Amino acid sequence: MTTALQLLWVFGQLSVLGFGGGKGIIPQMHTDAVRTYHWVTSEQFTQFYTIGKLVPGPTTVFAALIGYAAMPSRPIIGAALATAAMFVPSSCIMVALDSLWTRFEASPWRAIISKGLAPAIVGLVWSSVWSIARGAPSGIIGYGITAAVALLMLRTKLSAPLLILLAGAVGVAALR
Amino acid sequence: MSAERVSLSSIALTFATLSSTAFGGGQKASIRQQVLARGWMDRERFLDGLEIAEILPGPNILNLAIYCGHRVRGIPGAIAAFLGASMPPFVIVLIAGALYFKFAANPFVHGALRGCAAGALGLTIANALELTWDERADGTRILLLIVTVLVVLFLKMPLLFVMLIFGGAGIVSEYLVSRRRA
Repeated sequence: MTTALQLLWVFGQLSVLGFGGGKGIIPQMHTDAVRTYHWVTSEQFTQFYTIGKLVPGPTTVFAALIGYAAMPSRPIIGAALATAAMFVPSSCIMVALDSLWTRFEASPWRAIISKGLAPAIVGLVWSSVWSIARGAPSGIIGYGITAAVALLMLRTKLSAPLLILLAGAVGVAALR
Repeated sequence: MSAERVSLSSIALTFATLSSTAFGGGQKASIRQQVLARGWMDRERFLDGLEIAEILPGPNILNLAIYCGHRVRGIPGAIAAFLGASMPPFVIVLIAGALYFKFAANPFVHGALRGCAAGALGLTIANALELTWDERADGTRILLLIVTVLVVLFLKMPLLFVMLIFGGAGIVSEYLVSRRRA
């Protein structure tokens, strides 16, 4: 029961604070799920995040996997609670505010808010690089895969899921 | 607005199809194409929705789906769009999770997962570099960005305070810039 409430509390907060598409919530999610509540290890966290990037739909659906791991005796319930807490609050805000926002049509505030939040969100994305790196393979092969994927993503038109799968193929050969 | 009432099931089905087939960056374009082709709203309304979907908390594509559902059929439409856009990814990730807990210990699967994780880290770094590049022209914004990284990494500042303090400072500084321009 307590785990269920903790899942709702943790992911509910992340949902409400997930500005900019939820890009910035990874560091806090890592702190909560790994360090505070010990639902998952750092390696699991990174692998769940990776699965979130591989499946269709929003990356943050990987909250389901943290809920799954947090309630081993009732994994489906844990997954459902975490996902509902992750998606329902932000969705309610969207419904509540979308008509208000369109009424602001010509107002400069729209641009001010979206541009103003960007530096903090980008800072959080850099911090999430650290959170994810804690559970990624260390050593020359791991770093090499990471660097190659970053470069290919920036310089070619290859899609993100394809690059992750290619990295996985290298992993089967070299990171067993 | 189309004259005929759009059924809730067609809203849910449209977004269920989109959310279970579209990957990564292509999703917004496919939603746009579907919504405009069905005549659910005009281009301008859609772009309004895209803008707000990207700013408010929550995944962009889920927010965008909810916006469209809300516009077309009010609250029931928003709920239909929410269920359509969120259920298929939830079920798919659950299946992936069940397989994960069954096979993660297998050395081949373990190797693949570690490789994929290294790849996902690379994607995150690429994303961070791209986003930072967009900010490069303005010293204040770069400074704000760096201080945000430092307080999150070294002081473990909670997300709520990061958004209030640094998100707030960013909005204030943008406001001052826009006033100077006016």
